[in-house]
Amino acid sequence: MMPALAQAAIFKAQEWQLDNGLRVVIVENHKAPLVKQMLWYQVGAVDEFRGRGGSAHLLEHLLFRGTDKISGAEFNRIMEKNGADSNAFTSYDVTVYHQFADVSRLEVLLALEADRMRNLKISEADFEAERKIVFQERKQVVENNPASPFYEKIRMMMWGTSPYGQPISGLPEEITALKYADTLDFYHKYYAPNNAILVLSGDIDAETVRPLVEKYYGKLEKRPVEREKIAPVTENAHQTLQMSLPHIATPRVLRAFMLPPREKLQNEIYAYDILAELLGGGETAQLYRDLVLQSRQAVGVSASYNYMTRSNTVFSVTMTPNTEKPFTPETAVKTLNEALLKAKKTLTAERLAQVKRKISANMVYLNDNPQTAANWIGYMLSMGFELDDVQNYEEKINTVTLEAVQQAFDNLLQASDMTAVLLPQEQTGGADE
Amino acid sequence: MNKFGKYTLTIVAICALGAAIWGAQQYFGRIDADKILSNSVLKNKTFAAQVQEIEADGMKAYLLEEHSNPIIAVSFTFTNAGSAYETENKQGLTQLLSNMLLNGAGDYDALQFKDISEEYGVRIGFENGVDDFGGFMETPTAARDMAIKLLTSTLYKPHFSYNYIALAKNQMQTALRNHKEKPSGILADKYAEIIFAGHPYARPAIGTPETIEGLTRRDLMRFMREHLTKQNIIIGIAGDINAADAEQLIRDLFGALPAQFAVERIDEFVPETNGSEHDIAYNSPQAITHFVSKGTHRNSADFYPLYLANYIFGGSGLNSRISKVVREKEGLTYGIYTYMTSKETAALLSGGYSSTPENFNRAKDILLQEWQKMGTNGVTAQELQQAKDSMIASHNLRFASIGGIAEMLVAMQQYQLGIDFLKKRNDYVRAVTLEQANAAAKTYFDGLPDFVTIGNQTSDKKEK
Repeated sequence: MMPALAQAAIFKAQEWQLDNGLRVVIVENHKAPLVKQMLWYQVGAVDEFRGRGGSAHLLEHLLFRGTDKISGAEFNRIMEKNGADSNAFTSYDVTVYHQFADVSRLEVLLALEADRMRNLKISEADFEAERKIVFQERKQVVENNPASPFYEKIRMMMWGTSPYGQPISGLPEEITALKYADTLDFYHKYYAPNNAILVLSGDIDAETVRPLVEKYYGKLEKRPVEREKIAPVTENAHQTLQMSLPHIATPRVLRAFMLPPREKLQNEIYAYDILAELLGGGETAQLYRDLVLQSRQAVGVSASYNYMTRSNTVFSVTMTPNTEKPFTPETAVKTLNEALLKAKKTLTAERLAQVKRKISANMVYLNDNPQTAANWIGYMLSMGFELDDVQNYEEKINTVTLEAVQQAFDNLLQASDMTAVLLPQEQTGGADE
Repeated sequence: MNKFGKYTLTIVAICALGAAIWGAQQYFGRIDADKILSNSVLKNKTFAAQVQEIEADGMKAYLLEEHSNPIIAVSFTFTNAGSAYETENKQGLTQLLSNMLLNGAGDYDALQFKDISEEYGVRIGFENGVDDFGGFMETPTAARDMAIKLLTSTLYKPHFSYNYIALAKNQMQTALRNHKEKPSGILADKYAEIIFAGHPYARPAIGTPETIEGLTRRDLMRFMREHLTKQNIIIGIAGDINAADAEQLIRDLFGALPAQFAVERIDEFVPETNGSEHDIAYNSPQAITHFVSKGTHRNSADFYPLYLANYIFGGSGLNSRISKVVREKEGLTYGIYTYMTSKETAALLSGGYSSTPENFNRAKDILLQEWQKMGTNGVTAQELQQAKDSMIASHNLRFASIGGIAEMLVAMQQYQLGIDFLKKRNDYVRAVTLEQANAAAKTYFDGLPDFVTIGNQTSDKKEK
């Protein structure tokens, strides 16, 4: 095994803070005259009032509908005229507005983004139309996928009463009941410079950009923002779900493990990250070798670790069983569980060193598209990491020991977990008999 | 009234400050984006991307050097080698090929091949399109030799082992079943079948359960020998490499391909649409529709005029005409759009949207009104200017990633846009006159598009 060396910082990046509390990060990438602006508000679906699911997301849509200074359709027209690829997204923890454009247009982007932090002005008709649009979005993106009820049910069961158990889009009946005033309250409560992180990445440097950021964002006033802390799920439970749905043709098996939140884990998160890579990171990972290539019990299997959250981190493994072999939900689950247990023996120093080499070898691509840096840094900082954690990511990975990975594996098997199987509808009868 | 709650009070408070200063405040308070731009310290940031033509072993290629990050990207495509060139009972063959080329070659079995690729940061992949069979290689500069070894192994010594063929076919059968779980997947297949009836584009791209089952090792070998040749390859190289090294790279990678390509180009498909409707029964929360009409090829004189007209109509996103009326104004759908495709032998103007049953026909009525309005009245000078400004301002977005640049270099050669395309492209856009844009609108928004729709189109369930 090669010794872990101190690694250079990944990005040419700088961070500072405005007097009003806005955190700013810039990343230099001079390949082409482009810039990505991302404004990360520290508010998301988990901050909604119970029963008003979808308000964070609806508000995100409304920010494209004008301010005191930019009437209705002007925002989209100006973005288009300036060739900006402009969009936004809402997650459980953050609401993010972003544009990718020619760097010559950066000042326009800064002006418009800063403006809609404060001056939103929406008519009732706009509100009603936009509420219909997010309703249609839920139908299109979630409900038109026949497997969605399975994944929504898993989330509900795993998170129980936590707001992380609810869909980000809101339920259809919640969306139709959303009120104009509630959404505006949400805006006034959370949209403030001291509750946001601005990330700019591209053909820029601090000397040029600092005064521009100050010019547009500096005048926004700080406001008290109180964000409630959401209690992590601590109850230890072993849950199972078997669901059959219309239109489903291929069974899926899912195992998910509820792990502590990031702040309780510190550097252990990197051990879980490596464990996910070793077990299920693509077609060279252990579970693929075992279940797909050797025993032929599956046609696909993968693992992932999600620590981009302010609450519990979640480790999950999904398998697509090989239905050319005799299949029952019970044997499929048994097969996956046995493969997981067996995989512990393959967590060796050699395999760990190999995964570290793979991660290192691919770092160079992080500085290719400037959007990659903006997205990763924005997520990490929003979840409570520091810029140094991003810059030293390779070193953090390299200092993970074999014992730490094995310990992570043991923790996984003792964690609160979920075993879920999705089946084609006609299979229900067989399973019940 | 109380729906506006606190917000109404804020407005009232501002007005109460005094009507006299209200107008002035509004004027100085507005954001003038054009003024911001013309005063910006960044306004003169420009960039001259220099494309070079290089040649090795009779193969020409475009190169764009970019040395700020140590990565090299090679994009290549074999024309007339996509799924439309599979024989009738061998559908899915190019999909199988793109998978099997990564499953063991030369000195390496599949696991070794993938392990080594990942350890060196070398990314190799293949993609089967309808017309073409494409591939890419991205490598850190330091791993160039290993990247060459891996890609040449797979191009010249693929194992195509029986074990892996069986696995890959099984995975394709699973992917096919998954594809057909979703209404969008069923629609995509049916759409091709109906719109391109009688043409190879009508075939399902992943094949059928029966044709996948029948694919063999011999089919793979033969297709490769006949379709992956020096004569039909187009190459784009970008990143941390100079011209001499790039020429050597071409020799190393592609020099040993068969010289001759003898496959006949498939026939041109010309859509004749008349507003026909094809409905597929399916019980889903929303109906989804695709519509299609005739378009124009990438290198035709109509291209930029139609591109701009379509941009204004439904190609530009939230600010397009149909998005503004169907989405923004009435909230009938999450998204409605049109786009131009120029396949090798078919040029189309297509679009789509999805809506719940109670909205579906209202959205369609508005869409068709707008379509006819476009054919009759065309666009305004102001709309055309806005669309041109947008296309010109977004020109550089194509340089976001080295892999993307390499792909663009392939497209420039494939559509014969010329080596000076990147320098001239904004002039091509500027040169389009209002008369040309409106002539294109008249020609291409003349008749009605054909629709293929899945799901309930009306809330009255008994009707469908």
